[in-house]
Amino acid sequence: MSTRWYPVYQKGNPQLRVFLPNFWLKIVNPTMKQPKNVVQFHCSMEMTVLDVKQYLKKIYDVHPVQVNTRIQLGKIRPEPYKSILTKEEDVKVAYVVLPKDQTFEYPPLFEKDDTKDKNVTDDMAALEEAKKGFKAFIKRNKVPGTPGWFA
Amino acid sequence: MASIARNICISKTLNNITKLLGNITLQPNVISSSVVICKPRIYCSQHAFLHVTSKQNDLMEFFDHKDNWSEKEVKAGRPWFKSELRLKSNEDLHKLWFVLLKERNMLLTMEHAYNERFANMPSPERRDKVEKSMENLETVVRERNQAYHLLETGETGERPAKYVYNALGMRFFYRMTQHRIPKFMNKKWFKTHHFGFGGYAVRTFLRKYNEKQNNKERTKQRGQERYVLRLMQQFPNMDMDAVKKYWPDVDIEKLRNKEDIRGHFVPQ
Repeated sequence: MSTRWYPVYQKGNPQLRVFLPNFWLKIVNPTMKQPKNVVQFHCSMEMTVLDVKQYLKKIYDVHPVQVNTRIQLGKIRPEPYKSILTKEEDVKVAYVVLPKDQTFEYPPLFEKDDTKDKNVTDDMAALEEAKKGFKAFIKRNKVPGTPGWFA
Repeated sequence: MASIARNICISKTLNNITKLLGNITLQPNVISSSVVICKPRIYCSQHAFLHVTSKQNDLMEFFDHKDNWSEKEVKAGRPWFKSELRLKSNEDLHKLWFVLLKERNMLLTMEHAYNERFANMPSPERRDKVEKSMENLETVVRERNQAYHLLETGETGERPAKYVYNALGMRFFYRMTQHRIPKFMNKKWFKTHHFGFGGYAVRTFLRKYNEKQNNKERTKQRGQERYVLRLMQQFPNMDMDAVKKYWPDVDIEKLRNKEDIRGHFVPQ
């Protein structure tokens, strides 16, 4: 169990139980428009449709009607200034269909304040500091006949 | 008649009880213990630290708390230590695993959202902490598993493994698995796996491969020797036992006979 070593499947009961599942699951913002009762997930590559269903049912108390999965190929692109290609990791995408009366909408995580703008203001403040420091650095010193940096 | 008899019986028992009570009154220690003192199982001082989050089974569990969405930093504690987890019961560990699993899923979801936006996630070290806790928990469960198996069967119950030779005659650590068909019956597997590695090409490959490995080892050994030599030059009164402990492969007696050890000064 804890060694994560699973024996071969055999018919009949009692079946093996997974006590410490190490599958992960995350909700992603769907790139294509989905129906209101469909949630898009990324899941562990080892997970099957049944695994996703059981996972949501047992751990999150969400009872999906249908689950579809597909494997999304990672992007392949040339590395700049090198004659090699790099490939991103493949991901397994799961589309979870909730019952008709339930809806799910991806929450507006960044509506309240823009972290980007915050970062920009921080950068501007840092730039102002740097400018001040440079001005102090190039200010001529009092000793005649010596360069500016000579203290 | 029966009712009367019962009454008599009851009166008898009552008498016995009163007698008992009478006996008890003779012993002052017993009386004091008969006073019931209600001790709370959770002390008030500890009660203040007991914090229970409301149970929420929903898809919104995949997201962080709404107050943390716009935060720059989210305060979090430290990971669970192994020593702490060893004190917990199996049931508690099982529950804690699922708490950690949910937390990890939440952090993964948030991380993905921030990455999509090319923004920095607040306190990304939270994920490391959760991962560390999960790792510790798993090792503790494994320890218990091993102890149980050793007690019951005399074996650790770990996945069996052994060193085997591959088609190129190189040894590797093979972790065994269960198979549907026994090895001697699996003809297809025997056809696809040839175990002869005595060919010319394989021999050449192995010779060159071993040469490379030996070179690597030798350079490592030389590097260590050189380092120790330089140390001995700089610090003539060094603790040699410590040197032996850190670099057990280095032959110090051999280094002592070298001229380089003297350093660049006139011997006194």
